[in-house]
Amino acid sequence: MTQFVLAAVLGLLFALGTFLVLRRDIVRVVWGVTIISQSANVYLVTMGGLSGSVPILAHGAHGDLSGVTDPLVQALVLTAIVIGFGTTAFALVLTYRVHQEHGTIDLFELERGGDT
Amino acid sequence: MEPAHLVIAPLLTALVTAILTLATRSSLSIQRALSLVGGVGYLVGVGVLYNAVQTDADGVIVYQLSDWAAPFGITLVADALSVFMLGLAALVSLAALAFSVRFISDYGQRVSYHPLYHLMMVGVTGSFLTGDIFNLFVWFEVMLMSSYVLVAFYSGKQHTRAALTYVVLNLLGSAVMLLAIGGLYATTGTLNMADMARRLADHTAYGIDPAPVLGLSAILFTVFALKAGIAPFQFWVPAAYRAAPAPVAAMLAGVVKKVGVYAIIRLYFTIFAAATLPAGLSLPGLSGTAFLDFFGPVFFIMAAASILLGGYGAVGRRTLDGMLAYSSIGQVGFILLPLAVAATVPEVRTLGIAAALIYSLNHGFAKALLFLASGVIERMTGTLEFANLGGLTERAPVLSGGFFLGALALIGIPPLTGFFGKLLVFDTAARAGADLALAVALAGAILTIAYFSRAWNRGFWGDPVEILEQPSGTLTVAVAALALGVVVLGIGFDPVMDAANAAAGAALDRAGYVEAVAPEVVQ
Repeated sequence: MTQFVLAAVLGLLFALGTFLVLRRDIVRVVWGVTIISQSANVYLVTMGGLSGSVPILAHGAHGDLSGVTDPLVQALVLTAIVIGFGTTAFALVLTYRVHQEHGTIDLFELERGGDT
Repeated sequence: MEPAHLVIAPLLTALVTAILTLATRSSLSIQRALSLVGGVGYLVGVGVLYNAVQTDADGVIVYQLSDWAAPFGITLVADALSVFMLGLAALVSLAALAFSVRFISDYGQRVSYHPLYHLMMVGVTGSFLTGDIFNLFVWFEVMLMSSYVLVAFYSGKQHTRAALTYVVLNLLGSAVMLLAIGGLYATTGTLNMADMARRLADHTAYGIDPAPVLGLSAILFTVFALKAGIAPFQFWVPAAYRAAPAPVAAMLAGVVKKVGVYAIIRLYFTIFAAATLPAGLSLPGLSGTAFLDFFGPVFFIMAAASILLGGYGAVGRRTLDGMLAYSSIGQVGFILLPLAVAATVPEVRTLGIAAALIYSLNHGFAKALLFLASGVIERMTGTLEFANLGGLTERAPVLSGGFFLGALALIGIPPLTGFFGKLLVFDTAARAGADLALAVALAGAILTIAYFSRAWNRGFWGDPVEILEQPSGTLTVAVAALALGVVVLGIGFDPVMDAANAAAGAALDRAGYVEAVAPEVVQ
């Protein structure tokens, strides 16, 4: 069941991200990119399989070592999240800078005001 | 010291330099000196590693981080292919660094230039050395994060706009790369490149279905094509290259682009080529069972599109840097073209990869030289519009000579490196009997001659324009050093060709690669 819910949520998130990336407003574009990269992270978690138990067993509390969810993908997601934070912060600062330079964050006006 | 430790030498040098230059921002002279020493140290580190790989019995040096055996730990691998690319990166980056010290304003250098530059080199080095596909993503991000800031460095109107396109596109590329890597992990069960190659070669034993692997590797290819600026993912290139400071544009075209090329050679010829698709592909124009049979036509179409589009775009540009940026799109097509032929025709595979590597080397040197020269010209005349340029041969003979040599190298005149690059590309196509590839290469070569003669006529001959400021000697020396490199590497071509052949051999020696990394068998 979890798989189906996640698959549907992932599809919706990617659709939403793509929709936002195609907006005229730069802040929305940045939001779109962030949502797409976050959904890539969720997708990465699902790649380890969802059937198992918690990957870290505290003092063997869960006893059975078989059927453990792959912990590697979670380590990968952690790395990807950290990188995602950094790039999102930079993209937002850049948006602010674009607003300072051009006086607008409308991509349409940005394109029209630019040189060829 | 064990030779294995030498693998991290260039990586550590660049990282330590980045940290030191960040710590010494208060004193500009110390920061500059440390940065240059770091650049030289990086070259020395690469040289030592190169020598170690040459003298190593297997020709592959593996460093298992924290001594965790592959495929559980992270692996760094230095073989002939990695060190060839590292050598290119070290030489070009040192020239661009020496140029930056005089070219970038004091304020700019104090703010962030040197740490960013060396961090970008950390990312480049890591990408060349990693033996782990997820770490390839991480190193790409390290490299790109620094390059984002460097593209937006001047933070003027055009620069922020170009940087925005560059950042958003690369962030989307990174998300796609994550998707492809996650999918590859789910289907093959490993992230270690050697382990992946081993499992793909024997996919039935490991229960791997090769069909999704082919699809995922195709998705991954779009990311590398985006980084390398191959058509149809080239649209960010002109704006970003024009916005970046001249030495950064030289690095982007000369070194960062080559990381995409390296990833294509490493992954598609060493790793994914291990797999076959027993059922074949039931798509028109794509027959055969090997993965490379599928990638060959794809590579070819993209290479041909890059060559024609880049060449056509460059002929029509009104500014010198715009022309160089479009030319860069065309030249990367010339690098991909022999790879396309090599993928389709197994007999010329070594020659094709060697041709791509020699062409990468030539493009790295010549395009970096041209971008640096364009930076000096802008400093001298205040403009890069062909309409306002003229008579530079009289005003700056050494600089013009350097530009001329760079242009000749890209056109392919003997005895410069470009001649051998072009010759090998044509040779690969001719030996494979690929008439279409020959025709495309010929058209590209003619376009190259057209736009460089146009640039030469408009910018360097004719009535001299007013010179606002004579550039300092260091800038001209950096340009001249790269021009000398193009000549020296062309005249003393034998060792270069040997290195490229060794690198091509290493790229195709899958068994040797897997054996050196020695991933433990896990079922």
